[in-house]
Amino acid sequence: MKLSWMKRQQYLGYLFIGPNMIGVILFFIIPAIYSFYLMFTDYKFMSPDTHFIGLANIQKMLGDEVFYIAIKNTLMFLLSVPVSIGLAFIVAVILNRSVYLKKLLRALYFMPYITSGVAVAFVWMLLFHPNNGPINGILRSIGIANPPGWLSTMETSMYAIDIIWIWFMLGYNMIIYLAALQEVSGELLEAAKIDGARTWQTVRSILWPLVSPTTFLLLITGLIMSIKQFGIIQAITQGGPGNSTTVLSLFIYQNAFRYYEMGYASAVSWALFLIIMIFTVIQWLGQKRWVHY
Amino acid sequence: MNKSLLNKSIITLIMLFFSFVMIVPFLWMISTSFKTPAEVFEYPIKWIPTHFNWEHHLKVWTGQSSFVHYYLNSLKVAVISTIGAVLLSSLAAYGFSRIEFKGRNTMFMVYLSMMMVPPQVLFVPKFIMFDWAGIFNTHWALILPGMFTIFGVFMMRQFFLSVPQEISEAAFIDGAGHFRIFSRIILPMAKPSLATLAIIDFSWHWNDYENALVFLIDHDLFTVPLGLQNFILENNVDYNGMMAAATAGIIPMIVVFLLGQKYIIEGVASSAVKG
Repeated sequence: MKLSWMKRQQYLGYLFIGPNMIGVILFFIIPAIYSFYLMFTDYKFMSPDTHFIGLANIQKMLGDEVFYIAIKNTLMFLLSVPVSIGLAFIVAVILNRSVYLKKLLRALYFMPYITSGVAVAFVWMLLFHPNNGPINGILRSIGIANPPGWLSTMETSMYAIDIIWIWFMLGYNMIIYLAALQEVSGELLEAAKIDGARTWQTVRSILWPLVSPTTFLLLITGLIMSIKQFGIIQAITQGGPGNSTTVLSLFIYQNAFRYYEMGYASAVSWALFLIIMIFTVIQWLGQKRWVHY
Repeated sequence: MNKSLLNKSIITLIMLFFSFVMIVPFLWMISTSFKTPAEVFEYPIKWIPTHFNWEHHLKVWTGQSSFVHYYLNSLKVAVISTIGAVLLSSLAAYGFSRIEFKGRNTMFMVYLSMMMVPPQVLFVPKFIMFDWAGIFNTHWALILPGMFTIFGVFMMRQFFLSVPQEISEAAFIDGAGHFRIFSRIILPMAKPSLATLAIIDFSWHWNDYENALVFLIDHDLFTVPLGLQNFILENNVDYNGMMAAATAGIIPMIVVFLLGQKYIIEGVASSAVKG
């Protein structure tokens, strides 16, 4: 009697997971399978018939000049990830020990991450205004006669996007580092002090190695998060000027919803999936190696 | 001793300066929204305008495409999605963490693998499916998928795993089933985690530009990010108006952040370190 009741209780597991599972099937699994099929078709929105075209989309992708530009822009965009992590580490080390107003400072550095969205993208658009923007105003006032055109020229636009992204990610990385630093024992640092280690030596040879699993985690998750991002870039530049800020994820969006080349967009989106999968596998392997420092 | 106090004060001042750099876009935005057009790009920057101009904010809130409308749309989408997501995630997380049953680990692996699939893969098929189901260009195209967050399941599962199993066993002996244990014991214990998930989820939906961009066409349905974009396209030389509109878009998030700061920061920290 008691046993059968226990057994019935086990079946409740399906009831608990069921409602969520239905959504995951409808909004993740079925679309993913559907997209995999679309990759091999010439599906265009509103066009009367669709053909199975085998690997033609993948061939088209590999021959598409803009695809390679998008890859190059994506790599330039991903450069912002290690920069943001490095800056966040410095901020976290300082906030962790040697300041007053710790909570206030932590909140201020974190604010861009939580409040940011398209709204802030438009603010940056004006801050970067090439002729009269406040950023170039400051640069001119410190003696730079020809400040960069930022978002308005092909050579500099990706760097301007990088700056915005570094600013956005910094607070998130800092919070994670602060959590990791709190687990570093104070005794270890005291011992280093007694040994006469200088501050930067302590940071370099004790703190930095101790938080290396966190650095690794932030690097991989940051790369994955950034490679999926296109909203801010779409809002500010729509990929321009030229194709200078067309990153891979934006390239997919534009092919699908500006040119309605949905089969082609699906093929490219699986290339993006492949990159994310490689990052994820690296993360698994790395985590195994780093269980013990 | 005095020297280290001095050091600490100097470092605090330096860090305060850099934190000012971090929030300067917000300050500039608010300041510009009260200026006259001639003052926008004045240099050196006048942080407090000589005369406060409310006309730009008036235009944003009462103009042809008023933000009142976008706010209501965004609130509707974000609130319903968040309630659904918190409820469905905690139910599933309980199943994944505190009930042993056949196929559980396989199902969990499926969830794990879905985390790797980027939204770009799903946009096109969802677009076709929603069109077919008649929910394309309605709020349901945002709300229904918004109620399912794999991240939320992971986060709540992490918390439920940390609750000792003995608590459930004791309740079992008293004759309580899983639904009772879930609703009377585990869920009340999880209040801080629920709050964290709710705040993070709400902020996602409030800031969600990408899904709205793909799934909404009608101006009447626009949420705040799309409304903002629309405002900026229509008023692309009115910089003060643009900044008043941006302020309208950001203020709710600043309020949410100030109210739920503790939950947000701790939630973000714990979810990544232990995940």
